[in-house]
Amino acid sequence: MTRAPARRRTELGLIFLVVILTGGLYALAGLGKAGNLPANMGPFLVIIFGLLLIGHLAMRRLAPNADPILLPTAGLLNGIGYVFIARLSTHEARLQAVWTAAGIGAFVATLALVKRARDLERFRYTFAFLGIGLLLLPLLPHLGEDINGARLWIHVGSFNFQPGEIAKLALAIFFASVLVERADLLSKGTRRVGRFLVLDPRYLAPILAAWGLSLVIFLAENDLGSSFLFFALFIGLLWVATGRAYYLGLGAVLFAIGSFLALKVIGHAHSRVQSWLDPWAHPSTTGYQIIQGQFAIAAGGLFGQGPGQSNASHIPEASTDLIFAVIAAELGLVGATALLLGYILMVGSGLRIAVRCERQFEKLLATGLSLILGVQTFVIVAGVTRLIPLTGVTLPFVSYGGSSLIANYILLALLLRISHDTETPRLVEQAFDVELRGVTA
Amino acid sequence: MNRQIRLLGIGLIVLFVALFAQLNYTQLVRAKALEANPLNSNAVVKEYTAQRGDIVSADGVTLATSVPTNDQLKYLRKYPKGALFAQITGYFSFIYGSDGAERTYDKVLTGSKSPFKLPTSLSGLRNLLTNRNQSQSITLTTLYKLQLVAQDQLKGRTGSVVALDPRTGAILAMYSNPTFDPNSISSHNLAADQANYKAITQMPGGVLDPPAYRQTWFPGSTFKVITSSAVYDHKPALTTKTYPYLSALPLPQTTNELHNFGGEVCGGQLPQLFTVSCDTGFGQIGLDLGGVALNLEANAFGFNQVPPIDLPFAAKSFFPAAASFVLDQPSLAYSAIGQQNVQATPLQMALVAAAIADRGQIMTPHVLGHVTNSQNQVVSTYQPKVWKDVTSAATAAQMTQLMISVVNSPDGTGTLAQIPGVQVAAKTGTAQTGTGKIDAWFIAFAPANNPTIAVSVVLPNQPSENEYQGGTLAAPIAKAVIEAYLSGSAAPAQPSGAP
Repeated sequence: MTRAPARRRTELGLIFLVVILTGGLYALAGLGKAGNLPANMGPFLVIIFGLLLIGHLAMRRLAPNADPILLPTAGLLNGIGYVFIARLSTHEARLQAVWTAAGIGAFVATLALVKRARDLERFRYTFAFLGIGLLLLPLLPHLGEDINGARLWIHVGSFNFQPGEIAKLALAIFFASVLVERADLLSKGTRRVGRFLVLDPRYLAPILAAWGLSLVIFLAENDLGSSFLFFALFIGLLWVATGRAYYLGLGAVLFAIGSFLALKVIGHAHSRVQSWLDPWAHPSTTGYQIIQGQFAIAAGGLFGQGPGQSNASHIPEASTDLIFAVIAAELGLVGATALLLGYILMVGSGLRIAVRCERQFEKLLATGLSLILGVQTFVIVAGVTRLIPLTGVTLPFVSYGGSSLIANYILLALLLRISHDTETPRLVEQAFDVELRGVTA
Repeated sequence: MNRQIRLLGIGLIVLFVALFAQLNYTQLVRAKALEANPLNSNAVVKEYTAQRGDIVSADGVTLATSVPTNDQLKYLRKYPKGALFAQITGYFSFIYGSDGAERTYDKVLTGSKSPFKLPTSLSGLRNLLTNRNQSQSITLTTLYKLQLVAQDQLKGRTGSVVALDPRTGAILAMYSNPTFDPNSISSHNLAADQANYKAITQMPGGVLDPPAYRQTWFPGSTFKVITSSAVYDHKPALTTKTYPYLSALPLPQTTNELHNFGGEVCGGQLPQLFTVSCDTGFGQIGLDLGGVALNLEANAFGFNQVPPIDLPFAAKSFFPAAASFVLDQPSLAYSAIGQQNVQATPLQMALVAAAIADRGQIMTPHVLGHVTNSQNQVVSTYQPKVWKDVTSAATAAQMTQLMISVVNSPDGTGTLAQIPGVQVAAKTGTAQTGTGKIDAWFIAFAPANNPTIAVSVVLPNQPSENEYQGGTLAAPIAKAVIEAYLSGSAAPAQPSGAP
């Protein structure tokens, strides 16, 4: 085998750094909570290094020229998430470890199955039906389950799964392929209404149908965070594909109408907004979660109370929705900001991959995937910090939860696949260039 | 398309900057306000869940300790000796906060007051990272065995015993009946805590306010120690005055008379009056001294001031202002025998005995002996200090003679406190409460020539039988405590911080 590309060596170095950082954090959290090092310190280090190494080796084989930053950053976020989940519940930590392994498995499988990103384009309607089918699953009787007023879960035996997480990816692929195909039609008005040229609704129909249907499903399942994420994804991709800013305006109008209807129709939405505007009105019921989150974040101050040392036991949903509050409490403003920088790094790398793409479909897909990551992070962190109403979406790679972790590792694999596809011809060109220069010199 | 993607990136960064700004706002700007919010239990829980050191008696018995639990509060505070030390250690309750030494030495016990030191060992580094084992234990000056003697002596009776070392102010025993079990309101079963707390507050006698230092009674004739000191300090001429033998003293400004208990007749010079505790004689001495001198002397002994004991909310003992006697001379006569408006805590009266015992000085009363860290090394030791310079050594010596005569003289009121081989000095008190009951008092110190223990005993609301009840009821209790301490059966291995 030839020498690994420099990018892979960078990645391996970063993985070592991630293992050291998370290992240190795990040790500190154990010390902070129980006063001594965690008993499974050794296995922890071996497993986290082993899993990331598997991902890394798969990259060497399957996508050697892809971006070197994404996998270690995801590993870091995943590791930090695990430390805080372990600090909250040993039971959930054990499951999260299994889910992480499953996530890495899905990551490798995605890289192996999707040989070229552009192949996905051909299956656009398969993905559309897959996405909508997955969204519908929780609504089926006997299979679906309400958790915290939202019907997002299916359970088979003792096994819970949130199919909406995977559906987001499938629909992102569908949007990207359809929008690429129709970008020209969508960017130029073909019908004249008064002085304006407007779009022919015919071209928009399939997309509007998919968007409307999924919105309805999301609303039926009371998953406000995901509907917003989905909506932002759709409008964002439409704008990027067409370059027409008026889609953003249209999006704002549609969003206003949608929010108004949601507030009127869905009690769940109303109470979420109420408890955002004034959580103190019902401090022990609807406002409780927000208030406890605020207290925890405030207690963190600049440097935090130290891993494992805050009193997180009374924070509801501490390992899922509110995990950012626990992190802010124990790592402080400095640590919470570092975590946000991790996400900016990932989103930035994703968008850079999009910019460097030459083919439209991959460009749009990479944009969509980065957007999912960025907007989802914003929605949950802003909800926890009371910047916007709190809705229950997961903090990517950090929150406890299998479906979310698997979906995000698939997302990561797709981004890396696109990155490899884009970089490989460029590298070949460079190598060719060097060879030629060698000959002439 | 690339232009839009770049704008999208900028847009997302703007959103993340908004998150950063919101975090700054919550964690820095509003942090104080949120922390102070009454709904925020973080501070309370944090304070409650901090590891707490033990409280140990001077003779090495654990009085309060923290047991790890699996619930949110992390540690359960246990008081292995139950009610015996309730009024010294106090309690540490999640609902009701803390009291006693738990309250005074909270920061010492949790170690939040311990100075920061750079870690020099692995375990030190671990402690720094975990912020956990900064807890310190405190060792009290109070003796478990002496406390047991006091409890045993008061068995079945309402009353208080305070014993201290007059040379240092170290509290050796402080026990009151009835008492309560601090375990019962410090558990993690909050409903049970509330029920128990309610039951305790409904008990007569205000059990949660330790009678020994927070409750006051008429000191009665034990106050004559102060009246007599006032004679030596302010009008020594009265020491040679012979007071007439009377059963009732006519009072100025009124037709009322001050009666001796049971119509008894007594009189003579100061030593004689003191020995038999002659009320008519001391009533007249009070009138002869005047309100100013008596008030000055009472204040010198610590009345009208909060004793600086290291336990929370100690009560002042009360003696009226001099001006109040100008138009009310009868009050002056009654105040001179510790009646009317005079009120004293058992602690205050123990300090009165200690003042005479320690040659006219009162040392600051305290329960803290020393502080040890989690490695069992002594971090700091209580340094005794003077609270009040009460009177001269000469006056104290004179008073010692008077108090010896109370015990030794055949007609003394405190003969029941005699201990073979040990000279005890004492004063009895039988205060009339105005309800047909009496408060039986006894204050004493021993050995008279080199005192190492001063004691005060009060048994409130005893049936009124004769004027010597301070001597018959309270003296044996004081005697038992003194005997136990001096015989060494209840003494600490090393006298704590003796000068």
